[in-house]
Amino acid sequence: MTPFDFFILSGLLFAVGLFGVIVRRNVISLFFSLELLLNSANVLLVAFSRLHGNLFGEVFVFFVLAVAAAEAAVGLAIVVALYRYRKSVNTEDFSTLRW
Amino acid sequence: MREVFFYLFAFLSVVFAVVSVTHRNVIKGGLSLLASFVALGAVYFTAGAEFIGIVQVIVYGGAIVVLYLFTLMTMDLKNFGKEPLRTISLAAGGAISLFLLFSILYAGYRFYGGSIPATVSGAKELALPLFYRFLLPFEVVSVLLLVATVGAVAVGRREE
Repeated sequence: MTPFDFFILSGLLFAVGLFGVIVRRNVISLFFSLELLLNSANVLLVAFSRLHGNLFGEVFVFFVLAVAAAEAAVGLAIVVALYRYRKSVNTEDFSTLRW
Repeated sequence: MREVFFYLFAFLSVVFAVVSVTHRNVIKGGLSLLASFVALGAVYFTAGAEFIGIVQVIVYGGAIVVLYLFTLMTMDLKNFGKEPLRTISLAAGGAISLFLLFSILYAGYRFYGGSIPATVSGAKELALPLFYRFLLPFEVVSVLLLVATVGAVAVGRREE
């Protein structure tokens, strides 16, 4: 269990999340991928907090959790409001603002 | 023993993450995302970050994923429709994510040696930096949560 193993885990989670953000068209699946991206950062923060011997990294994980909860609440409110107008959660139906 | 559980739960969390991103059914994707987060909480336990592991399971598993699943219950899953898979977006997503994976691994290769110390940080150890050194950010985060809650209610309200 070297620090490099945490790099592998974090990199794999980040790659999976980024793949989902690029490929998926469903807004809920996009939110799932965003949560994976946030979690991959958390893994490295925990690993380096352990490695350095102080707990500042774990405090930042705590803050990231709070921000993720706020993001989920606001994002889902926007998705529900959009669903009420368009009866769809596909991003290609929301392209009226695109240039 | 720590190593065995670390590799087991890390493998499980990556596998469930892949399932949650690629599965066509959104409900099954959400459930496998829940499994991925719980496995990640176990990974934090094996690293000795005990309090973070507990908070990960409670907040991510108990609050955020459940919030997504409740929102999905208010929608009609039948008119979600098929997602067309475009070759160009598949290729772009695969190429960009593989490039980022290798650049993260390249940046982390110099940490190849060494090992994580086997200390445990529970709630008592974490409270000291959280409530002394990071007291102001803690209060700001509480204001952020209040603002997000009020904003979510204001945005999601039905127009009269």
